[in-house]
Amino acid sequence: MRLFLRYLFLLAAVGACLLLLAADGQGQQKIPLKKAPPKAAEADYYKLLSFTPPPGEVLEAGALEVLPDGNVAVGTRRGEIWLIENAYADDPEKVKFRRFAHGLHEVLGLASKDGWLYVTQRPDVTRIKDSNGDGKADVFEVVTDGWEISGDYHEYAFGSRFDGHGELWITLCLTGSFTSDSKFRGWAGRVTKDGKFIPTTSGVRSPGGIGFNAEGDVFYTDNQGPWNGACGLKHLTIGGFVGHPDSFKWYREKEARYLGPAPTVPKSNSRMMIEAKKVPQLVPTAILFPYGKMGQSASGIDCDLSGGKFGPFEKQLFVGDQTHSTIMRVTLEKIRGRYQGACYPFRQGFGSGIVPVRFGKDGSLFAGGTNRGWGSRGPKPFSIERLVWTGKVPFEIHEMRLKPDGFELTFTKAVDAESASKVDSYAMKTYTYIYRAEYGSPEVDQTTPKITKVVVGQDRQSVRLYVDGLQEGHIHDLTVSGVRSEDGKPLLHPQAYYTLNYFAGK
Amino acid sequence: MHRLVALSFLAWLGALPSPSTAATRGHPIVPGFERFYTGEKADAAWGGQLLLTELNCVSCHKPADASLAPKQAPVLDFVATRTRIGYLRKFLRDPQGIKPGTTMPGLFSGDPARDQKVEALLHFLASTGSLRQERPSRKGVAAGRDLYQQVGCVACHGSRDATGNPDKVTATSVPLGDLKAKYSIAGLATFLEDPQHVRPAGRMPKLLAGKEAHDVANYLLQGARVYLASGKGATNYAYYEGSWDRVPDFSKLKPHATGTALGFDVSVARRHDDFALEFKGFLKVEHEAVFTFTVTSDDGSRLYVDGNLVVDNDGIHAPQARQGRARLAKGVHKIRVGFMQGGGGAELDVQIEAAGFGQQNLGDLVAVSEAALERKRPVMNDEDTLDVQPALVAKGRALFASAGCASCHQLSESNRVIASTLSTPLLSKLKGEGGCLSEAPTGLPWYSLSAAQRAALSASIKNPPPRAQTPAALLPRTLMTFNCYACHVRDKVGGAGEVLDKFFLTTQPEMGEEGRVPPPLDGVGAKLTPDYMRHLLDNGVHDRPYMYTRMPGFGVANVGHLIEAFAALDRGEAAVSVSFSDPVSRVKAQARHLSGAQALGCVKCHTFAGSKAEGVQGIDMTLMPKRLRHDWFHAYVADPQRFRPGTRMPSAFVDGKSVLPNILDGKAPTQIEAIWLYLSDPKARPPVGLYSKSIPLEPADGAIIYRNFIEGAGPRAIGVGYPEKAHLAFDANGMRVAMVWKGAFIDAARHWNDRGAGFEGPLGDDVLHLHAGVPFAILSKPEAAWPSAPAKEIGYRFRGYRLTRDDRPTFRYVLGAIEFEDVPNPIVTGKEVSLRRVLTATATKPADNLFYRAAVGNKIEEIGKGWYRVDGTWKLKVDSDMAPKVRQSGGKAELLVPVRFAGGRARIVLEYAW
Repeated sequence: MRLFLRYLFLLAAVGACLLLLAADGQGQQKIPLKKAPPKAAEADYYKLLSFTPPPGEVLEAGALEVLPDGNVAVGTRRGEIWLIENAYADDPEKVKFRRFAHGLHEVLGLASKDGWLYVTQRPDVTRIKDSNGDGKADVFEVVTDGWEISGDYHEYAFGSRFDGHGELWITLCLTGSFTSDSKFRGWAGRVTKDGKFIPTTSGVRSPGGIGFNAEGDVFYTDNQGPWNGACGLKHLTIGGFVGHPDSFKWYREKEARYLGPAPTVPKSNSRMMIEAKKVPQLVPTAILFPYGKMGQSASGIDCDLSGGKFGPFEKQLFVGDQTHSTIMRVTLEKIRGRYQGACYPFRQGFGSGIVPVRFGKDGSLFAGGTNRGWGSRGPKPFSIERLVWTGKVPFEIHEMRLKPDGFELTFTKAVDAESASKVDSYAMKTYTYIYRAEYGSPEVDQTTPKITKVVVGQDRQSVRLYVDGLQEGHIHDLTVSGVRSEDGKPLLHPQAYYTLNYFAGK
Repeated sequence: MHRLVALSFLAWLGALPSPSTAATRGHPIVPGFERFYTGEKADAAWGGQLLLTELNCVSCHKPADASLAPKQAPVLDFVATRTRIGYLRKFLRDPQGIKPGTTMPGLFSGDPARDQKVEALLHFLASTGSLRQERPSRKGVAAGRDLYQQVGCVACHGSRDATGNPDKVTATSVPLGDLKAKYSIAGLATFLEDPQHVRPAGRMPKLLAGKEAHDVANYLLQGARVYLASGKGATNYAYYEGSWDRVPDFSKLKPHATGTALGFDVSVARRHDDFALEFKGFLKVEHEAVFTFTVTSDDGSRLYVDGNLVVDNDGIHAPQARQGRARLAKGVHKIRVGFMQGGGGAELDVQIEAAGFGQQNLGDLVAVSEAALERKRPVMNDEDTLDVQPALVAKGRALFASAGCASCHQLSESNRVIASTLSTPLLSKLKGEGGCLSEAPTGLPWYSLSAAQRAALSASIKNPPPRAQTPAALLPRTLMTFNCYACHVRDKVGGAGEVLDKFFLTTQPEMGEEGRVPPPLDGVGAKLTPDYMRHLLDNGVHDRPYMYTRMPGFGVANVGHLIEAFAALDRGEAAVSVSFSDPVSRVKAQARHLSGAQALGCVKCHTFAGSKAEGVQGIDMTLMPKRLRHDWFHAYVADPQRFRPGTRMPSAFVDGKSVLPNILDGKAPTQIEAIWLYLSDPKARPPVGLYSKSIPLEPADGAIIYRNFIEGAGPRAIGVGYPEKAHLAFDANGMRVAMVWKGAFIDAARHWNDRGAGFEGPLGDDVLHLHAGVPFAILSKPEAAWPSAPAKEIGYRFRGYRLTRDDRPTFRYVLGAIEFEDVPNPIVTGKEVSLRRVLTATATKPADNLFYRAAVGNKIEEIGKGWYRVDGTWKLKVDSDMAPKVRQSGGKAELLVPVRFAGGRARIVLEYAW
């Protein structure tokens, strides 16, 4: 009978597919017959170069760093550190891989300083160097091991580069990604120059990467799960709380007492901005990456400080997504003292699930991938790639900024005034996520604000959108399908998603 | 799309046979009789003999042949806690009409006073308790359906559809009747959890564990009426098992079961003796008054109001009443009653009384929560409700003894079984016709026998067949009686049959029939050890992880005689005796290699101590020496096809020679014996390649460092593999070498595949675990105990390590101002390898009273030249400025080395031989 049942469902499913196909067919016939111009491809602007590690070696990248000599260090989940020499060569034959260290425990952070390589690994931060010049690290010096691990595989530690104060930032994943069963799990902390671990921000769930913006403020990505309706980019501040309250139990530890008592536990099944008004320490997620639309596992972060070598997005953030094997683009602005802003699709098609990203000396972007244990669109078990700007400027939304009465969009190229000034060229909807102890959230509280007026700027590279019905705490999901560039081309990516936590002042 | 799916779903429902509800009169179903004695050529006398026990004729008509043991009818203690009154009423009036196929005879057929008699019996049975209830679980329905279809219920009862009604039923399927009318979910689940508690005869074996029983009950009783006590008249109870002479302190105990009880109903207990109950409820008082509480109990009880003891009726005693008073203000009060039962009668009654309030049963006034106090009581005035009248109970009790109920059914009151007063002729005095064998007997039990059954019984009574005493005769009769043949074949008899065969399923289709169908019983007496067979017959087992069907437990009291019968009938050949020249540990190490992925590959198909195999999940290797006879293991491993034609189990031995001739002497008996020895070791470590992709790390040019979760060295472990094939794991939490071992280093597969969950132990052999605890300590006086706090708390800090050009580590840690280094290295002497450690302490200001603890054991002996033997198994050499001392501390022997600084440095050299 079981088989019989299965067959029927199979038949039903096949039937349903046929119906769907038929419906699609009809839909297609309704599309206007006007021929679309040839579609611009991401690869025309940013080309993806793939490195080939030595045969038999498994380089599941967990961290990347650029050394003073320009060589790129790759830290792996198997605990090795490899150096890519001649990493910027166009001819892959000229690139050399050399193993610098082994025997580390899931390397998820690398930072170079004063001839040392600071390695953030599961149990500690260890700094390593080659003191005898044989090309291999021989000194492994523990800088701090100020947190605990229990043997749970989810208790990862991600490490940043050094901040402006010469300190490293560490994010510590929860036990099993749900609870905080070992000391300081669910915290972000700083490693001082004298090797102290200072727990700094509570509320971390399951981080995927950590990095700085152009101003040197530190951000990390957290992943959809309990108290995280979708993946997000979060600002780490001293005394802040970023969402998951299981970490509160460690406020009583002597290292954390300087922060005072634990915040009030937020109410589950609420909204983050409702709780943020009741829990002053709660720093709302600066950028929400709409789940499924932008990605499903936000990861590594780096800021374009190349001075234009990577194209028109200087000082913007580039954030990886492990599941989608993509790199996304993020712009931030400070509204009422808090960071918020927008994210945009940028480049897809990486070989494996992207974890670390790092700008190289030449302004190209290195990206490392792995899909062990967590599947990715990129089919390879691991990958190390380099994204290079071809010099051609894509027609993109450069930035979406909040105004008291709407948004301002800037573009990478001058727009065609006629199409850009039409209200119909823009479509906006909003939604948010439930803030709750259960895993994830569907999109909820959907609204459709009205774009009442569009004014194209005098430079024709910006547009003011006047919007009725901006929503606090919502993603403002904008599709700009009607705007054309001066030369009549559509946007390479018409989407932008603005996380509006606070309204802009007048 | 939704519409399409919905339509086809309806079509599918329509294709099913509609649930059968109409009851049709049948005849009692005895599977063995239906299967083997209804044919024309069947030996009627033998068939009749089966019926004499299975229909329980011999309970009334005592046989001369003691081997004709009756199949004991259900024990009726607490029957009303599991069975609905309405069902019992109809069933007692006409068993065969209500449950076609039942072996229960009608007792009052043709009796004009039938209904009154049944009513009296009903009041008596209803006095055994009240129907236990639990909330239906939708999740349970789905899980229960899978269990029912998969674990073996179908083999005896036929299949059932999605709603729990009969689907494919054969002539030999034991009918279940209208379960929804008969049981509550809690009642059926309790029965299924331990069927032999109610039906000790074991015809219904035990197949389901706790939660599974509830799931199956939920599946079978979908849509059955449920009365959950929601308003007044209910308490939350917790049930405990144990032997006490006072009401225990419940806060220190873990309940055996919890639930909702009607008032203070002690029949929620799962057994007669040695239990305790705690009831909690809320009482609403409308006007402040002094209330008198009267608690009558057997044995002890204590009543608390708002946490204050009001009535103390504790201790072992016959029913006795105790009173207490309390002034209760208007409002809600918490009531708590503790009760304990030793042996004998068990009862509890709580009354409450006050001026202007009258006397009332407190159980009717309390509710499970404050909110529930306001809820209306569900109306229970259907056929399952009965207002038990003492006069009718007494009448029913008398009838139970006189009408013959007590001849078959056990029912105890105050621990005394009610005896039957019915006098009946001996079996040998029966004529073999008329009487119960009439087509419609009056004034006698009416079984509603089929013609074949009447003929068989008649033949068996007129010409009794010889007693089945020899194993050869006893065995098939037992297999028939217990319906073993529903699943198993022996001597080409038995098996599932065409209709039900497809319900025997496997998780490993590639294993074919042997993965799906319970094994034949040919030769099983030579295969299984008597102890294991006893365990398996008694409790049931699920040793074949690939097979959905399980072996159920029949109770050794019922089928224990099979052990001897199988052993007498099945003889195997004796294994060749084998002796080894190598020490046993070496033999086991080689057998471990043999079983591994790079040799015979046993581990590719067999689980090992619960760890999954790579491909099919064969019977756990560590179970083999417990299950199997040594001789059979030898014979089977040498040539599996001889025993199970077509089995997937390969042979590694051709003409008695191994495919791996270089291991041991290369002969089959030697290698098989070695594997037997290895598997018999309760501490046997898994063979190589148990996990999907083995990634053995093999040090060659230099050392290999492996930081990860290492079993025996903690989460902050640093494994070091040396090319000399002696290895260690350093515990960076404890600043200590946690263990050393030889042979292979470590398999990284666990951590380098998938997400890398869990701890991995050494891959090699001869693992020596060194003692835990900090390495160095300052002792205030020589006899002070070694500190037990974690190293970090004591002030140790791990500082990392330096590597030589060939990656050999020097571990570094500090304690305050003292810096320590630990340089381990293997030393090879001929064929032997040992491990040397050079420990150095550096301090600008030498520390006084600093000691190094070199070893801890039950016994440490000095054996000369600086060597010490620890626990008689391994040796340690200590080379230091100061002489080490063995001391006794905390029941253990410790080897302490005083640390003396010279020029700011101190040095201790250790050598481990193991």
